[in-house]
Amino acid sequence: MVKEIDAREQACPKPVIMTKKALESMDKGEIDVIVDNEVAKENVSKLSKSMNLEYSVSRDNENFIINIVKGEKEEVKEKEDIDICKPNLFKDTTIAINSDKMGEGNDELGKILIKGFIYSLTESLPYPSTLVFYNNGVKLTVEGSECLEDLKTLEEAGVEILSCGTCLDYNNIADKLSVGGVTNMYTIVEKIKNSTNTITI
Amino acid sequence: MLNNEMYVIAFDSTHHAIKSEKEIKSQEINIKTIPTPREISVSCGLSIKFDYNDLNWINNIIRENNLSTSGIYKIYRKEGKRVAEKLI
Repeated sequence: MVKEIDAREQACPKPVIMTKKALESMDKGEIDVIVDNEVAKENVSKLSKSMNLEYSVSRDNENFIINIVKGEKEEVKEKEDIDICKPNLFKDTTIAINSDKMGEGNDELGKILIKGFIYSLTESLPYPSTLVFYNNGVKLTVEGSECLEDLKTLEEAGVEILSCGTCLDYNNIADKLSVGGVTNMYTIVEKIKNSTNTITI
Repeated sequence: MLNNEMYVIAFDSTHHAIKSEKEIKSQEINIKTIPTPREISVSCGLSIKFDYNDLNWINNIIRENNLSTSGIYKIYRKEGKRVAEKLI
């Protein structure tokens, strides 16, 4: 029989602790751990890996089910206590910003909105892992931009901030970049493609 | 990151918020326009975050220009939750 561990709506590191307890309480067998978010899924998977156990992940609507098999001879050797809750700070999300305005319409309003958007990003956890700026978006990462302070806050917290080099150059502002690094289209493609989630503003 | 304490002026009108930002910035006072914090209002308004020391100065600018605000608030943490206290 497969034992079921319902770890939905549990804050980190609870799902990991519940999984660990369940595994320790049995000699061999199978458990299904149900979690409702990406971070918990990653953490439970990491735990299984560190305990040398076979596991597989499946999706059920909003939830993830991690099936873990504990065999007889499995050598339970735990590695260092993985810094489990760290990923909570970041979501594997890339936000692509292609303009110095948010949405279509009045320019003045659009500029106010993008400023508000970036400020609000600093107030909302988890942070995205990467922000990429291209086309007119690069005007937000250069000298004189009113978003610099907020972008620096995000960068200090560990958010990767990348501006398109071609775009900086085209606008003659390459020497004015004030936050984050310069990148090229290959990296932009990778960031947008490989993140679990990409949001284009 | 999540600021522990700040002062903001909330506006009902986006136009008044934008006008105020321009007028205040033209006097070289350091402020920042932000979306109105949820603790104050759930509507999608704008607020100006400012340094408390500049309060009187900013108030004068707002009065001189006939700009209407919906209040000045102090936002701080209380028992882990953010609360807004209306000052004026």
